[in-house]
Amino acid sequence: MKKINKHKSKLFKLSTVKSLHKWLSLLVFIQLFIWLGTGLFFNLMDHNKARGNHNKQTVVTQQIDSQRLLNSNSIIAKSNTQVSEVVLVQRLGQPYYLLTHDKGLYSHFKSDYSLVDAYAGTELVVDSNVASRLAQASYKGSGDISGVVKLEPPIADMLKEKNTVWQVNFSDDLETSVYVDASSGRLVGHSNEDKRFVDFFFMLHFMDYPFLGEGSVGGFNNGQITFFALLTLAFCLTGFIWVIELLRKGRYKFN
Amino acid sequence: MSLHRTSRKYHKWLMLFVGLQLLTWSITGTYMVLMDIDYIHGDTLVAKKQKTLTAEQVEYSFKELLEVHPQATAIELGFMLKKAVYRFNVDKKKVLVSAFDGQQLSPINEPLAISIAKELYNDKSVTIAKVELLTDNSPGELSGRHLPVWRIDFDDFASPSFYISANSGQLVTKRHNFWRLFDWMFVFHVMDYTDGEADNKLLLLFTVFAFIASIFGLVLTYYRLAPQHRPSKRSASKNKPSRRKLKDDKAEATNEKN
Repeated sequence: MKKINKHKSKLFKLSTVKSLHKWLSLLVFIQLFIWLGTGLFFNLMDHNKARGNHNKQTVVTQQIDSQRLLNSNSIIAKSNTQVSEVVLVQRLGQPYYLLTHDKGLYSHFKSDYSLVDAYAGTELVVDSNVASRLAQASYKGSGDISGVVKLEPPIADMLKEKNTVWQVNFSDDLETSVYVDASSGRLVGHSNEDKRFVDFFFMLHFMDYPFLGEGSVGGFNNGQITFFALLTLAFCLTGFIWVIELLRKGRYKFN
Repeated sequence: MSLHRTSRKYHKWLMLFVGLQLLTWSITGTYMVLMDIDYIHGDTLVAKKQKTLTAEQVEYSFKELLEVHPQATAIELGFMLKKAVYRFNVDKKKVLVSAFDGQQLSPINEPLAISIAKELYNDKSVTIAKVELLTDNSPGELSGRHLPVWRIDFDDFASPSFYISANSGQLVTKRHNFWRLFDWMFVFHVMDYTDGEADNKLLLLFTVFAFIASIFGLVLTYYRLAPQHRPSKRSASKNKPSRRKLKDDKAEATNEKN
């Protein structure tokens, strides 16, 4: 019995554990409070508002007149770049063949598309005018379009998006922005002040700071969080050992 | 009671209740930040290759398809293995037909599902460990809307599984042990043992108490490490036993010696 105890005390000295705990607390306390505070926020926040879809509506689709559809083979033949997929989509109530030239594993990964009118065979280039109309079709708020800008990633509102997008801004109370993929005309998503507010808390929780490393990437695999996570792990572990020691020595007593 | 002593008392007692969860948060959080999220999502398991559609492969047009299947929506012309195929929805259910003659190909059989899984898998020399058709019940890692689905387990590092939709012949999701573990880590991180959401009362309770306990901890850090308190505390404990009320501190002094 005594032998075991001796061996144990060699493994780690309690005084070392205590002093480590004290010094680690000094290093991690700011981020620890940020983690707890933002965690509390995520727990209490309105999860619907956080999605940024307050002014979003489902785009209405029209019946396709199959008799007028052009043969996709002729469209594939006319394409300058190779085509791996053809999807019959609707844009602004009209059918289009969406030609896939290059496709990532997920829709937000780098891809390359073009749109061809499925009745007339003419190419649709998603310019600022088309992007505005596509954005308007997905918008049910009362604001007017206040600006249309073409953006290259990284896009502050949509950090995971790797494709060029049109940002269509609406002048409403929530400062809604609608994002449209510049090559496919796909609705990437909506964002607004509510979502940006939540995104700010995610940035803090993930230590995804814009001024560090490669800037904000919308994720939590960065050097600074790895460093602080390991320190915090050591901090919590030393604290935990301390509690166990207090329990073992009968220091938890009501009096 | 002084702020110092109050803080020590409350820090000690609160941590008895929330200390284990703080340790859990730090362990699960460390795991999640250390593992690259794209690796976790199994993206590295999937072979990336583009195929090229040619006119000879597509004898059956969108127009003919819509005449036979007027309810079809989201019609896609793409590939299944080397064959050009159409995939579309009818009442939220996927249908697969040949782009050569319009013949229906779904639901796909086991050998076909295996070939598709092998073609999509990055390592071509891999062997299949197990194949199972899931029709009614989906495991927790698969959304029920993907059913029916072929689950293909590979005999490879971290036991990867590909889920191939029996109706579309497409990879709907994938899993491997580090992702499965990641999902568990997340459950323990947000303390939701029912639906994996972060808005539960248990998490609220623990976060609030952990916050309070940490504030007391910060007060202790201040007293322990602030220069004006460190020496005075030492001398106090040595020279003025009258200021130390008690066995609490005495016990600590003995602890320090051990």
